[in-house]
Formats: sequence, structure tokens, C-alpha cells
Amino acid sequence: MKKIVYAGLVGLVFVFGFTTIQSPDNCDKKALTASCKKKMEPYKYDSQKFTKISFTKKAQQLEVEVPVFIGEKYRLIFNTTALPKAIQINVYTKDKDSKKREPIYTSKAGDTEMTFDVPRARKLFVDYDVPADTLAQKGGSGCMVFMVGYK
Amino acid sequence: MLVNKKSFVLKGTMLIAAGMLLASCGSETPKEDTVITPPADTVKTASAETEEVSYSLPSPLQIASIFKKSGLKYKDGVTSSQKDPSKYTTNLSKALNLGVYSADLSYTVLNKQNQEAMNYMKLCRSMADNLGMGSVFEQSNLSKRFEKNIGNEDSLAYIIAELQMVTDMYLDENDQQQVTSIVFAGAWVESMYVGSKVYEKGKDKSLNSKLAEQMTILGSIINSLKSQEKKDPTIGGLVADLESIKTVYDALPSVKNNPAAADDTDKEMTLTDDEVSTLTKKIEELRTKFING
Repeated sequence: MKKIVYAGLVGLVFVFGFTTIQSPDNCDKKALTASCKKKMEPYKYDSQKFTKISFTKKAQQLEVEVPVFIGEKYRLIFNTTALPKAIQINVYTKDKDSKKREPIYTSKAGDTEMTFDVPRARKLFVDYDVPADTLAQKGGSGCMVFMVGYK
Repeated sequence: MLVNKKSFVLKGTMLIAAGMLLASCGSETPKEDTVITPPADTVKTASAETEEVSYSLPSPLQIASIFKKSGLKYKDGVTSSQKDPSKYTTNLSKALNLGVYSADLSYTVLNKQNQEAMNYMKLCRSMADNLGMGSVFEQSNLSKRFEKNIGNEDSLAYIIAELQMVTDMYLDENDQQQVTSIVFAGAWVESMYVGSKVYEKGKDKSLNSKLAEQMTILGSIINSLKSQEKKDPTIGGLVADLESIKTVYDALPSVKNNPAAADDTDKEMTLTDDEVSTLTKKIEELRTKFING
């Protein structure tokens, strides 16, 4: 009997010790990074930002400020495949407090992997518009990644 | 005796299993930038509100690359001469000097200073070990690939970019995004120091405008650090130091009399030689403070 309990516990240790623990929001960051990296060529990796998003009854907006330099060429890559619902991504050259700001990029409905080569700019403001989830009792959640490359 | 031994192993195994179960439960804590929202029942409208602003700072390699393109030459003796990582005892000084070494690594690689590049790669690795993140250098054989490709500037630049990527991943997965901002602050100050020291010698106009352009990201560095201050209260002192540089820069006549320049994508800002000297002095003070730990 003891042997069975012992074997069971050893098995438990192996299961919890050597299996990748899947986060509840199903966010496989390595896979997301690898997917973005494939779209990076011929640009060089510069930085990346993971963002966890929880969908609630209220619409949300999250902004990422990205300083860039005049004369440099940049590529932005987004991957939202680990989100349970679609969000809209807008890229601006002015912050949210600016009265005259127009998006220089807007994601299309249904897109989950997006690439945008940036025109001449001094600063970028990447906005994630997360829609309200009116039916959700608890709200789903997931994560997305945004990668910057330059050349 | 054998039974006691078995019992001991059994209890030990149970403890380990329990510990791992607890650890796995703990991993549910969100580690990413989270959009914080109030409970659904308190929400009155469905209109969008900006909950949070976060920052994506560039890599030290990009800063070195921009300076290189503007004509920044290699000048012997300007990079950090402090080559004993064990000297740094606080996490703040370790992270700042990892940034200093990263900037020097990028500068020496892009200027084909092979031996110096090797030295700074080893220093980066040693400092990363001190910060408990030495494992990033093991990924994809980055250290070995760096040694193998020494002399090939393009390959080395790609390896450094890859190292940056695995470091960013590691810090994000370990909920240490504040370290990314601190490392970049160290790298930025070192890059500005090297750029301004080389400028002193040649007075190159293109380098002058790149030094001024770099100042436009100081606000983002400061805000990024401020947003992480809760995770590490020692960041407050660093923010104050960086703000003092921004205050000096904002008061320079070329900057003060041309407030629209920061947003103008057609014109490049230039500073007078005296203004560069004033800025250099301030940056040098902070760089010395970083290096002295």
C-alpha cells in the first residue's frame, strides 16, 4: 500500500515539477514572441511589450508610448491570437490629450497578427481599444504582444 | 531502519509535492501590464477610458546604431573602466551598470573593437549573474555564438538583439519589468556620455543633432521609471537624478526658445557648443555616480 502511495506522490512531483504550468489566460509568451520574430526580418528586434487584457462590461483603452527617432525605419508587429475577443489597435503620433490627433494605423476587423511599417515620426502612441463585453458575467481574459523592430 | 528511511522519503516527497502545488497556484498572479478595471457592477457607462499608459523603451543597441550612423567614431578610453561587477552590491547599481556595460558592448561591437567587445560581453554576463538572470546567456548558446562570430559586426549585432529579446522575456516572465527600465536608464546615460565625449573632439554637426534628439526620449525614460516605482522604491532617487538632467536641458536657450522642435519631424534640433558642454557636464556627473555605485 505504501509503495502505491509513494509511487503516486513521486508521479505528482514529476507532473507538477516538470510540466509547463499553463497560465489561466492561456498566454504562451514564447510562442507569441516566436510568431512576431518571424515577421521581423529584415528589421532587428528592439523591444516587446506583453499586455494582459481582461474583458469587462466597460470598454477600456490602454496606451503604450514608444519613443522613436527621426530618420530611422521601424516595424511594429502585433499578435492578439491569445485574446478571447477582438480588440482594435490604433497608432498615433500624438498622445491622447492632443486635440488634433489622427491614427496613422488602424487594425482591420478580424486581424489577429498585424505588421505596420512606420512613417517618419518622433513618438508613437499605440492604443488598444478593448470593447465592452456586455454579455460577460465574469469576463474573459488573455494576453497580447507588441514588438518593435528597426533597421 | 529501512522503514524509517522510507517514511522519511515519503514525508519529504509529500512536502515537495505540497510545495509545488502551492507554487503552481501562485503562478496565477498576473505578471503582465494589466488593465485594471472596477468590478462590473460598479460600471455605469460603456464608454472607453484610458486606464493606464505604459512605455516601450528602445534597446541600447538601437541608440548605439543611431550614433554610429551619425558618424560617431570610436574613441579609446571613453567606455567604462570599472571592470569589477562584484563591486556593485545593490540591485539598482547592478542594473544601472548592466546598462552601462550593454551600451559599451554595443558601441565596441559596432566599431569593430573585438577584444573590448569580448570583455564587455563577459562583464554583461557577470553582471546578469549578479542580478540572478545569468540563464538568459545560456539560451540559444548566445555567449558561444558571440565568441564564434567575433569580427563579424552584423552577426554580433543580431546576437545582441537576440540577447535583448530573451532578457526582455525573462524579466517580463519574472515580473521584473522595472529592471528593463533601470538597465535602459544606465545604457542611455552611458551612450550620451560616449556621444558627447566624441563630439567634444570633432564637433560634428550630425552628432550634435543626434545628442539633442536623444534628449527627447528622456521624458519617456523618467515616466517609465515612475510607473514602476511601487515595485522598487530606490527608483525614486534615479528619477530625481534624471529629472535634474532634463531641467538643465529644458533651460538651454536653443531648447527654451524653440518649444515646437520636440514635435517637428522636418527640422533637427541643434545645440551650441557651450550648451553641449553644459549638458555633457551634467551627464558626466550622473555617469560617474552610476559607475561608482
